[in-house]
Amino acid sequence: MDQTITILGIESSCDDSAAAVVRREGDARHILSSVVLGQTDLHAQFGGVVPEIAARAHTEKLDHVIEHALTEARVKLTDLDAVAVTAGPGLIGGVMSGVMYAKAIAVGAQLPLIGVNHLAGHALTPRLTDALPYPYLLLLVSGGHCQFLIVQGCDAFDRLGGTIDDSPGEAFDKTARLIGLPQPGGPEVERVAEGADPDRFKFPRPLLDRPGCDMSFSGLKTAVLRARDDCVAANDGLTQQDQADLAAGFQAAVRDVLAEKSRRAIETYLAMKPVKPSFAVAGGVAANMTIRAELECVSANSGVGFTAPPLALCTDNAAMIAWAGLEQFEAGKRDGLDLSPLPRWPLDHRQAPMLGSGRKGAKA
Amino acid sequence: MPSDPTILAFDTSAAHCAAALLSGGRIIASDHVDMPRGQAEALFPLLEGVLGDGGMTWGDLNGVGVGVGPGNFTGIRISVSSARGLALSLGVPAIGVSALEAQAAGIDRVVVSTRAAPRDGLYFQIIGGGETTTPILCDLDTLPPIPARAEPVCIGARARDIAVLCGGTVGHPRYSLTEATARLAAARLHSVTDRPKPLYIRPADAAPARDAGPVLL
Repeated sequence: MDQTITILGIESSCDDSAAAVVRREGDARHILSSVVLGQTDLHAQFGGVVPEIAARAHTEKLDHVIEHALTEARVKLTDLDAVAVTAGPGLIGGVMSGVMYAKAIAVGAQLPLIGVNHLAGHALTPRLTDALPYPYLLLLVSGGHCQFLIVQGCDAFDRLGGTIDDSPGEAFDKTARLIGLPQPGGPEVERVAEGADPDRFKFPRPLLDRPGCDMSFSGLKTAVLRARDDCVAANDGLTQQDQADLAAGFQAAVRDVLAEKSRRAIETYLAMKPVKPSFAVAGGVAANMTIRAELECVSANSGVGFTAPPLALCTDNAAMIAWAGLEQFEAGKRDGLDLSPLPRWPLDHRQAPMLGSGRKGAKA
Repeated sequence: MPSDPTILAFDTSAAHCAAALLSGGRIIASDHVDMPRGQAEALFPLLEGVLGDGGMTWGDLNGVGVGVGPGNFTGIRISVSSARGLALSLGVPAIGVSALEAQAAGIDRVVVSTRAAPRDGLYFQIIGGGETTTPILCDLDTLPPIPARAEPVCIGARARDIAVLCGGTVGHPRYSLTEATARLAAARLHSVTDRPKPLYIRPADAAPARDAGPVLL
């Protein structure tokens, strides 16, 4: 295809207000701009993301972020082919704000509107960065999600398994809080774990004794809490060494679980006899170098190519939304002005829900 | 820009989705649908309907008027995000108008303007006659002093009770919420430069983290 397609992407499903312009020219993919405005400072005193505070910030920041992305990309709204926006899953106040901005831009600039699943954004990122051919195996591992998916197409995902309770990202944040580190916890835990002893504390590797690719991380959080309390009781506080060893032990447990489950997922995937076997990892936790290195190792041992997007495209961003929107635009997807912002929106809608139920529906 | 600008105003700050199109100094089309939820889905189809009824398109607008509350937080954000997005894509100003001001629009007296807040609270503002105050959250027992000599007109939630308390009279808005929003936006089209912001009045419900974390040695 020689046609040039340019898409504006908007993302506001958690605590990052983001906008990006992505262009495809034949086989070449260009991120013309990718602006991410975080809210870490706003949520710092609360020990986690407060939905109402996030929604307030998105509403008053998104237009500035979108203008910045257009300016940096040196494109005008009339140069765009469509506007793509995260329509879920996520914190509904932020998703809603982004969707309304996108609708307003679509009508004002007479552009098609495409509602993108945030998880599809993460899942399709390896196609933006590495032009990975379908089908590939993806481990999506972030603050809100953890699942193995076989990506068959831009709107076709088969879930092999996932967490039955918490996500690893959530567990990293919780561990950081437990051992006195600031939020977001992922990079902090990784930082203090460096050079520490991962074997001093014996943490569980949940569900490794069960077949399949399902995972659990909530018991691991409890184990970290117990070990921390033992340390505090012994010395009336936590020493730097305790803190570092707890972080290292926890990180190693997550690494081992993800590695073993990846091994099993790769087996299932290879049975499909893909032409160019590829294993990709995406989501914020994929930014952890210890985990990344282990997954790369598992991949190499199975003779499967390994792809991990650059860090800035692992964490939340709008370039991935623009790219997913671009692929879906080419596949003919268009949404109406009645597009619904959704708090929950499982990627694989053919399978029975494994997490969440009730009024909001299944989470995964 | 024409002296009688064409303004599309809309509001989703309560259990409704409403819009009015002002052109040539009068409302040429409007719509109001009561709905407890679903404004995010309904707003743009409703706006296109109002524009169509008025024989206009998006490109005909000189500005956008938006209800910024006080009211339902999510509802306010739906409209404010839409208005700011329209300002960006149409290249015209978006003007925020509060519901308390809108209720008092076109009334040449001191107005005590109130709107219902959660848990029997009141959003409260005195408007006009050199007495204009900052909008606040209070309740009937904590009303700020209202100058009786101003012979205020009380409009909005608990207006009857407030009128008794302050020696005022009970009045009614001259315009519908969205007509008032459109008229005030038109009047401010050339003077307002700030982007519209939600008027929450109430802070976000958020408590600082309880688990203080361990003592670090």
